[in-house]
Amino acid sequence: MPDLFTDQLSAYLDSELDELRRRRLETHLGECAECRAVLGDLRALIAAAPNYRGREPLRDLWPAIEAGLEELGILPITPAGPPAGPPTRFSWPQLIAASLLMAAIGGGAAWLALRGPSDRPAGATALAPDGPTIPRSIAYAEAQYDVAVADLTSIVEEGRSRLDTATVRVIDESLRKIDLALAEARAAIQRDSTNVYLNRQVAANMRRKLTLLRRAADAIART
Amino acid sequence: MTSALPDLDQADVALAVTGDHAAFERLYRRHVPRVMSLARWLLDGGDADDAVQEVFIRVWQKLHTFAGQSSFGTWLHRVAVNLMLRLCKNLGLSRQRHAADPAELETISAPTERPDLRVAIERAVEQLPRGAREVFVLHDMEGYKHEEVAAMLEVDPGTSRSQLHRARMLLRQLLAT
Repeated sequence: MPDLFTDQLSAYLDSELDELRRRRLETHLGECAECRAVLGDLRALIAAAPNYRGREPLRDLWPAIEAGLEELGILPITPAGPPAGPPTRFSWPQLIAASLLMAAIGGGAAWLALRGPSDRPAGATALAPDGPTIPRSIAYAEAQYDVAVADLTSIVEEGRSRLDTATVRVIDESLRKIDLALAEARAAIQRDSTNVYLNRQVAANMRRKLTLLRRAADAIART
Repeated sequence: MTSALPDLDQADVALAVTGDHAAFERLYRRHVPRVMSLARWLLDGGDADDAVQEVFIRVWQKLHTFAGQSSFGTWLHRVAVNLMLRLCKNLGLSRQRHAADPAELETISAPTERPDLRVAIERAVEQLPRGAREVFVLHDMEGYKHEEVAAMLEVDPGTSRSQLHRARMLLRQLLAT
């Protein structure tokens, strides 16, 4: 088994030998059982290598990953506990669900494009007058979201005089930025209704608005 | 990997991109073993847990850019490899490791058991010298071309080729019963 030929086996298997060297090696392989055995071993190795199974981590890393996402403020859905603070007409999970569903309807057919027809429950759709067919649950969530925002906005408006001016200024400025971002995302969706990223942006900003209003209402309730 | 996985991945990616973190957790659980092995091989095990966490956080952030032109697994591994090699670079791991070191080869011992070839390969890869291991993992396990491997590792394509042959021959030796 001359090294000259052994050293060419990898390149041969990767089809990287020129014609002359390939023919010389093949002639040699026809005469050398040892080189043929090495070639067979390498071929089996190369065939098996991409199919590695991998090893589980020694500890579950998901909780840390989830915490990292939440820390960055980019995890859209958080486990929701019972709402605290002033009474509202809707539970916190309902508001979250509403915001997510609203994000879907905000993009027209985007939600439906993402989900196959088989994912839709029977009878769960309603025909929009001038648009795509939309699930009733989404239309319901849209109404819930609007009412929830109006409800919380009303609480904040009525109680804003009980907050210090700096806090009021922060709330107003944050709401202005969120509404602007929402308007921009919605306008962009009109041009690209199936853009998943834009739908996520809308969903994220709707959640931010609800969170902000909720916190403001909590602050008022504590005064 | 079974053929059903890409379908499951596709469905979960569609859900995750809308903010469904339960779907993203399913993607994590399905793919974490291979990403963890990648981290062990490319980072020498030291910061593997941290690297894997960072990979999945990065993947969540970039999920909206996944166009579905390749499988999710392929895309995920590209993100993982790029991040891990960048970590290596930031850690200042020397490119000297790509020079052949006969003394290093002497420390390699044969694996004691061989349940099947795939598992045996995974264990044997851990025993390869670092330079040969990186090239073998990137080329033979992850499917990168020599030119890509060379660019990633900042070596010549010729070095990538010679390290690959060296890795394969060492693995053959390690796997010999």
